Amino acid sequence: MIFPDVSWAAIAPEIALVAGAVAILLVDVQWKPEPRVLGGIVALSVVAAAVLSVGQWFRLDTPSDITIPFGGMIAFDRVSVLARFVLLAVTAMGVAGGWRLFERLGRRAAEALALVLLATVGFSFMASSIHLVMIFLGLEVGSISLYVLAGITRERPDSDEAAMKYFLLGSFASAVFIYGVALLFAGTGRLALLGQRAFLDANIVTRPAVLLIGMALVIVGLGFKVSAAPFHTWAPDVYQGAPAGVVGFMAAGAKIGGFAALTRILFTGFPLMADEWASVVAIISALSMGIGVVLALVQDDVRRMLAYSGVAHAGFILTGVVAGAAAEPGIWFYLAAYTIQLVAGFAIVAAVTGSAAGRSGLDAFAGLAVRSPFLAAAFTVTLLGMAGIPLTSGFVAKFGVFVSAWQAGFSWLVIVAVLASVVAFGVYLRVIVVMYMREPGEAASPTPSTAARWMLVAATVSTILFGVLPQPLLDLARNAFSV
Amino acid sequence: MVELVLFVITAVAALAGAVTVVTARNPVHSAMGLFGTLFSLAVIYVVNLAHLVAAVQVIVYAGAVMTLFLFVIMLIGVDKAEDTSEHLPRQRTLVAVLGAAVGLVVVALIVSGRFVWVPAGGGDVEIPNGTVQAVAEPLFTTWILAFEVTALLLTIAAAGAIALAYFKRGLIREEHE
Repeated sequence: MIFPDVSWAAIAPEIALVAGAVAILLVDVQWKPEPRVLGGIVALSVVAAAVLSVGQWFRLDTPSDITIPFGGMIAFDRVSVLARFVLLAVTAMGVAGGWRLFERLGRRAAEALALVLLATVGFSFMASSIHLVMIFLGLEVGSISLYVLAGITRERPDSDEAAMKYFLLGSFASAVFIYGVALLFAGTGRLALLGQRAFLDANIVTRPAVLLIGMALVIVGLGFKVSAAPFHTWAPDVYQGAPAGVVGFMAAGAKIGGFAALTRILFTGFPLMADEWASVVAIISALSMGIGVVLALVQDDVRRMLAYSGVAHAGFILTGVVAGAAAEPGIWFYLAAYTIQLVAGFAIVAAVTGSAAGRSGLDAFAGLAVRSPFLAAAFTVTLLGMAGIPLTSGFVAKFGVFVSAWQAGFSWLVIVAVLASVVAFGVYLRVIVVMYMREPGEAASPTPSTAARWMLVAATVSTILFGVLPQPLLDLARNAFSV
Repeated sequence: MVELVLFVITAVAALAGAVTVVTARNPVHSAMGLFGTLFSLAVIYVVNLAHLVAAVQVIVYAGAVMTLFLFVIMLIGVDKAEDTSEHLPRQRTLVAVLGAAVGLVVVALIVSGRFVWVPAGGGDVEIPNGTVQAVAEPLFTTWILAFEVTALLLTIAAAGAIALAYFKRGLIREEHE
């Protein structure tokens, strides 16, 4: 009799999240409570998952302490715990920032909240997987939840359209990814990343055609998920059509999961082929930065602007990926800083133009400084953080990945990145000017929910705090990696 | 030899079915083409000793999924006219050129590396045993976590279907009330 290699400690946070999702669905069926009660269950399970993650962190003594339970499916190491911290923060902030949406969804709030938790589980598994099949499953669990969330306000045709587009293009990207996985399996005979690395260590592949095609397809598939150019075309339409209250979580969760999987595959599975993939990733990075900032400049809809700026940020993060495993702490600092700003940005968009609505024209932000000084100030800090102004976390993040890329010999990429950052500043400045310089129209003053207010305070404080005092977070990130 | 003959017959049938799916004007014909493809693939699975996959293919895909397709087609109406005009100019040419380019690259790379198609294989690869017992044991030991996460997908599908189907009754309340 063979028994499975179960490690409850390794998946305890995920179990807490799944339990929360199931509890929400069952409680909703039985008692039909107010959304507030369901929100309480979300908070409970996210806090439980966070506490369990802290426990995992201290159970793992050193960065190199790694066990691989479940027959080699997932890694129990500090990297996955760090990724989960970022993910849980984004989930909590996403639900708090979009709380008005869940209130308005009525009876559908239970499903929406359960899907948010399940998406978190999927991306969390993506981050801890060390096996290509498991990465794919995590990707699908996360993505399919997001497809539904994009269309949760189906009575609006553009939400329906966003969900359909996201679903079709996302399925296509998943198919590309799984084809790549199949070719990597064909090339190495293994699906576990450490096994593939050991194979490449022990063998010289004289004709690596299958491996190279496989790797290219995997990069394309994950490039779609993190909305890197030229695989970004879904992002603006989806960000614009999906209900504002949930876009922040969607965008941030997909970026965290996608980059976690990409770095794991490239750094753990194929570090020996870095010469091959680094140049490809560098080109994708440069394209993302260029296309992202230029198209963000000409958008008249704040959400499309944030979508294209998200493409640019995917490019900035990829400059770190190009540098290899040494840049990993920098990549995670960037992901933490940026995803929090992203969630905060969409919480403000939701407060100003409606949490269930689609489209957020720039005009709706005219004179926001007069109508709601708090929101205008929070948005200003968030946008400056995204632009990477010194004394914000965005600056430290950009500096970190650029230095890594420079040291890895990709100076041309750093020059492109710095130029793109300068143009990107113009993108964000445009919104700030509209908020502070233009006369407010007839529009009413936006009133964010209490949860959103607290969440925005937390996001703003963290953007400034990690800009002025980045060391604790940097140390935390460095303590997760053995570099 | 028998294997080769079987493969050729089923492969041709599978391809013919796939072409029918795309080209048939009548959706029922498309569904039948898909049925042919799925069934031919099941035969190929049996030849490769993947008995469980073959059974699942016939029961789930050729059985349940195809029935569902036919139901949907019948409900929508077979003879409903459809607008098939294309809105993106030169899309077909572009797709043909790009598709051919990708195909050429793949073929060129594979031909140039054909002697190391599966370098990991070596001579000691066991022929996999795809019977039900042989699949069940690893499924519930090595792959237990993947199995459980797949169960999550079903939960998501159920919750998602309810959420998306519910929208007429639970109209979104007004903003800024």
